[in-house]
Amino acid sequence: MPALTATREDLRIAWLAALAVTVHIAESALPSPMPGVKPGLANVITLVVLLRYGLAAAAWVALLRVFAGSLLLGTFLSPTFMLSLAGTLASLCALGAGYGLGRLWPAARLSVLGLSVLAALAHMAGQFWLAYAWFIPHPGLFYLLPVLMTAAVIFGVLSGIISGAMLKRLEI
Amino acid sequence: MTRADFIVTLGAVALLPFLYVASWGNGARGEQARILVGGKEYARVPLYKAQRLEIPGALGVSVLEIKDGKIRFIASPCRGKQCVHSGWLALSGEFAACLPNRISVHVAGREPRYDAVNF
Repeated sequence: MPALTATREDLRIAWLAALAVTVHIAESALPSPMPGVKPGLANVITLVVLLRYGLAAAAWVALLRVFAGSLLLGTFLSPTFMLSLAGTLASLCALGAGYGLGRLWPAARLSVLGLSVLAALAHMAGQFWLAYAWFIPHPGLFYLLPVLMTAAVIFGVLSGIISGAMLKRLEI
Repeated sequence: MTRADFIVTLGAVALLPFLYVASWGNGARGEQARILVGGKEYARVPLYKAQRLEIPGALGVSVLEIKDGKIRFIASPCRGKQCVHSGWLALSGEFAACLPNRISVHVAGREPRYDAVNF
């Protein structure tokens, strides 16, 4: 059997994913005012990785975080995990679109703040879509949508500001 | 903060009032309908599933239709057809009855829109 050798990039992704998992687990200890509302501080790591190492690295870190985080919290393959995965996939798509568009067309370039808001909205939309399509297909769920989206905008802006501050310090 | 950031954030914030209006604006939409035959509850049906119901009453069968969160009588073996003319019922507390056939329908939700209705 050939030995698996980790490249520098592999090790970097592993480190960053471990950091994201740590943040994810620390955050899961915080009480949540309502299901689905969470600051999503682990996404700060995804954003920082996106801007420093590119989209592929960010996707790796975000997905490893969802899988490893759920294994450690004991929610793997539970509805919580499914919602988290749906949200993460949606937000990665949004980040890919926002980041890619900014590279192709510099006038539409988003900084970490805009990317964060975009990712937070997509995360919530993906999660909500899955909850509605799969778990609770009842129109009453739409009563929650505005509240959830308000939380997403607020936490998106906050994560964006935190990521911005973090990136500035990393640039030294 | 780039200009695109500003547009995205503004767009996100501007989206919220629309969501509130779209999800909460039409207020007390009923969630289910109670169907009474001869003063007794015959069925409780959710309004989010489109279907046609045939309810046997005192004179014969009345047909009810449920679609898009609304319910109405579409046929009844009575003479005046008051029930059919009542049209769609969607808000909680709204009410229609076919008195000759002894069938009444009212929409129930979390917040009743009317306490009482006079004719």
